[in-house]
Amino acid sequence: MMRKSLIVAKTDFKNALDLRFVKMGLIMSVAFGPVMVILMFVSLTALIPPSEMAFAMLFLRPMVPSIIGIFAIIPTTMISANALVGEREQNTLEPLLCTPLTDRELLLGKTLAGAIPSLIILVASTIISVVGVAVLTVVMGFPMVIALDLPGVFLLATSVPLMIFAVVAVMIIISGRVTRVYEAYQMTSIIILIFIIPMIMPLLGIETGVPNEAVWFSNITTLIIVAMVFVIGWALALKLFNRDKLVSMV
Amino acid sequence: MNEITIFGLTKNFGELVAVDHMDLNIPGGTIFGLLGPNGAGKSTTTRLLSTLLQPTDGTARVSEFDIIQEPVRVREITGVLPEESNRTVYPGMTAYENLEYFARLYDVPEEEIPARIEELLTFMDLWDRKDDKAGELSTGNRQRVALCRAILHRPTVLLLDEPTSSLDPLAAKRVRELILELSKKYKQTFLINSHNLPEVQRVCNRIAIIDEGKVLLQGKTQELRSQLLSKQKFRIRIVGDIEKASSIAKSMNFVEAVKEEVDSILVTIEDPTENNSSLMQNMLSQGIKIVEFAEEEATLEDLYLEVVKGGIQK
Ligand SMILES: Nc1ncnc2c1ncn2[C@@H]1O[C@H](COP(=O)(O)OP(=O)(O)O)[C@@H](O)[C@H]1O
Ligand SMILES: [Mg+2]
Repeated sequence: MMRKSLIVAKTDFKNALDLRFVKMGLIMSVAFGPVMVILMFVSLTALIPPSEMAFAMLFLRPMVPSIIGIFAIIPTTMISANALVGEREQNTLEPLLCTPLTDRELLLGKTLAGAIPSLIILVASTIISVVGVAVLTVVMGFPMVIALDLPGVFLLATSVPLMIFAVVAVMIIISGRVTRVYEAYQMTSIIILIFIIPMIMPLLGIETGVPNEAVWFSNITTLIIVAMVFVIGWALALKLFNRDKLVSMV
Repeated sequence: MNEITIFGLTKNFGELVAVDHMDLNIPGGTIFGLLGPNGAGKSTTTRLLSTLLQPTDGTARVSEFDIIQEPVRVREITGVLPEESNRTVYPGMTAYENLEYFARLYDVPEEEIPARIEELLTFMDLWDRKDDKAGELSTGNRQRVALCRAILHRPTVLLLDEPTSSLDPLAAKRVRELILELSKKYKQTFLINSHNLPEVQRVCNRIAIIDEGKVLLQGKTQELRSQLLSKQKFRIRIVGDIEKASSIAKSMNFVEAVKEEVDSILVTIEDPTENNSSLMQNMLSQGIKIVEFAEEEATLEDLYLEVVKGGIQK
């Protein structure tokens, strides 16, 4: 099962890269996360007196996992929109559905096409961001700054990967209803906004100094929401996925 | 033994009945032509047989596998050339990559893949284009890649939906030769959708004419041609006034129909053994020079027009 799904995933990924907007989107996702995080930290470190740095860190750190997470999820949205809706729009879906692939093999392939690149980008941009901030602050002659804290690592290790897979489920549900790639892309992009929660929510308590509990609370809330999207999404996707519907949609 | 058996197969799209309680048996090894006007339900039938669509009612068996119960088995032994197949290849992948991808999905043993692709692309005169992106190939060449894709895994049943529709006459001829060659070599069963009647007549040994999702007529091509056309048609080639010749023919009460062509008229004559000579005499006496007076072979087109227009029910 896995072997054929990987063949599908690889081909879908390569075909997606052939589209300029996907290629650009991917390059931007890889670059933007770390660049934003590094710029934020380095500029603040340079501008703020060292005595206030600890306070600034309190609201700066919760933003890091959200930024990295959002940019890591975008490639999945683009690649799976192309692999599901795009193939139908392009007329290449019909021969694919004529092959002996089972529904599960097909869906796994379409899932991995976006999920594998996204997971790689997630790990890479986390490492680049943390190392980049640490090295640059030291090079600039300040005490080393670690951009991620434990709640951040928690969010990146749970909610973000779960969301990467949840997005594909939503895409599968949508694929039986929309005919254009950009529509599918826009619709799924909206759910990424869930990651505004861990970015904004801790700031509500800014005057009290953003207690660590507020960060944990918002990250766990995010995880619960993402987990619900994941579970409901996949339950519906597996139930609603239907070759007949995909083929007979005009 | 029937290789494809269709039992009461029905497909509705909302209110529209695209395939209507169709029953059809296709014996193993035949090249079966499914004929019918646009919208008759040919492509829907193919999509039902290739398990892409779910029947609303009824079912079908491909080889020993039921299309509802064992769709994966059906897909394994079936090769499909979809409608407008030239648009179904991945434009960003080369001809070779397109075929390699599908060879793997159809479980062709990895070590056999290169040789098979080379054999097929060579046969289709495409080997020197193997590294061209499919999107840069001509319509006809893309269609040939799609045809290679359909036969790559040596399916025992081939469902070809208008296989020569976008090909030039030479390429179309090549495809017909390929079908006959494959059939001879591997004895697969072909179901070919078409409305190109001369082509079907040349390639298919059995046909069914369908309209509005129903089978109007089916049988062996030869028998249908000779048996169903009761009236005989003759071609009278003349030198001179076609219109005059035509009006003479029309004035005879045993002449059923007259069609004028550039250098001849086509007449349908009742009881030709009795009547041909009097038509000939009449024309000669009025100064028409007859160059040829010959029986015109009944074509599938005649039959088709009679069935689809006249609405003969089976
Ligand atoms: N996905 C679909 N949704 C709605 N109607 C369809 C669909 N596919 C085919 N039809 C209708 O079903 C009928 C048969 O179509 P089709 O099988 O494509 O005919 P053919 O291939 O003989 O030209 C037509 O009236 C067509 O409009
Ligand atoms: Mg058709």
